[in-house]
Amino acid sequence: MNDAKLDFLKELANIGTGHATTALSQMLSGRLFQLVVPDAQMLPFDQAADYVGGLEQVIVGIFVVVSGDVRGHMAFLLPVDSALVLVRLLTEDDSGEINELARSALQELGNIMITSYLNALAKMTTLLMAPSVPGVAVDMAGAVWQSILAGAEVTDEVTVIRTEFFADGEAIEGHILFLPDDDDFKQIARMLGLEEV
Amino acid sequence: MTEVFVNMGQISAFKTQGILTTVGLGSCVGVTLYDDLAKVGVMGHIFLPRSRERDAGAPPGKYADTGIPAMIDEAVRLGAQRSRLKAKMAGGANLFPNLNANSTSIGTQNIEAVTEHLKKHGIAIIGKDVAGDYGRKMRFFVDTGVVTVTAIGKEAVKI
Repeated sequence: MNDAKLDFLKELANIGTGHATTALSQMLSGRLFQLVVPDAQMLPFDQAADYVGGLEQVIVGIFVVVSGDVRGHMAFLLPVDSALVLVRLLTEDDSGEINELARSALQELGNIMITSYLNALAKMTTLLMAPSVPGVAVDMAGAVWQSILAGAEVTDEVTVIRTEFFADGEAIEGHILFLPDDDDFKQIARMLGLEEV
Repeated sequence: MTEVFVNMGQISAFKTQGILTTVGLGSCVGVTLYDDLAKVGVMGHIFLPRSRERDAGAPPGKYADTGIPAMIDEAVRLGAQRSRLKAKMAGGANLFPNLNANSTSIGTQNIEAVTEHLKKHGIAIIGKDVAGDYGRKMRFFVDTGVVTVTAIGKEAVKI
C-alpha cells in the first residue's frame, strides 16, 4: 500500500476516534483520553488472525455492521479490566463482573462511540454510514476477532484501521477498528479528491 | 509432545503423535479427521462455508467445501485409509447473537457446511461441541484421537 493511502487512512482514523473519545469523555464527566497514532494496514488473510495479540486473553468486543453508502464493520475492543473500570464509572457498579447491566452499559457506550466516529466521517464525505445495533461479546480475544473477520467475510486481504487510546488517571485502554469494504473505501477516497490513492 | 497451532484457514497433520490446537474458535469450525489404526490425525480451521470466485487464491482450508476434501487428501497422503476416517468438530458459535437475529449466523452456516461435506465423503461425525454464543479452544491428541474443548468459565469437554 502506498504512503498516500496509508496517510489518508490514518487521518480518517484520527478524526473518527477523536470524535469517539470526545463522546466517551462527555459520558465520563470530562475525563481526558489520549490517542496513540493510528495504524492502518492491509493485512493478508494469513496474518489477520494474529493482528490482535493474546488470543486466549479475555476481552470485551463490541461489534457493529455499517451500512449505507459505505459498508463495512467496526469494532471496539478492550481488555476486560478496562471494561470493568468503564462500567464502574458509568453505572457505579463495582461488582467486578460483566453482568447484564454491565453488558448493556458497554453496548450503549460502544453505540455512542461508534456512531460519533461514523458521523465524523459522514460529515466529511457527505456519505451515509449507518451503524447497526451493537453486539457485545466477552470472550477469548481470538474468538472475538475471528468472528469479526468472518462477519466481514474477509477474502485475501483486509483493510484494518486501528486507533489505540488510553485515559488520563484511569486504567482504561482500548482499540477502535474500522474494516471498510474495499470498493466503498475507494468511494470515500474519491469524495475527498484522493482519486489515485 | 510437539504442539502445532492451526490458524484460520490452515490444515495441519501429525502421524503417530503430536498435538494439534486451535485457539479462539468463534464462528469458525475446527474439524479433526482421525484414522485410529494408522494413527493419522488432521485438523482444519474452517473460516466460512463456501469458497468464492473472488477469493480464488485462498488456501483450501479456509472454506468448508474445499477444506474437507483437502483434509481427506492430507490424511490419505500420511497413510490413513479413507474408509477408517472419523471426524470430530467444535466451534460454529455466534458471539454476537443480536446482530444475526433475522438470518442464519456464519457459525451455523459453517456447522451445516462441514456436516454436509463430511457426509458427502462418507465420514461419520463421532463427537462434537458446537454452536452456542461463546468461543472455544480445541486440542487434538493424535496418539489417542482424544479431542478436548475448553471455553471461558466452562468445564472442559472431551469429545
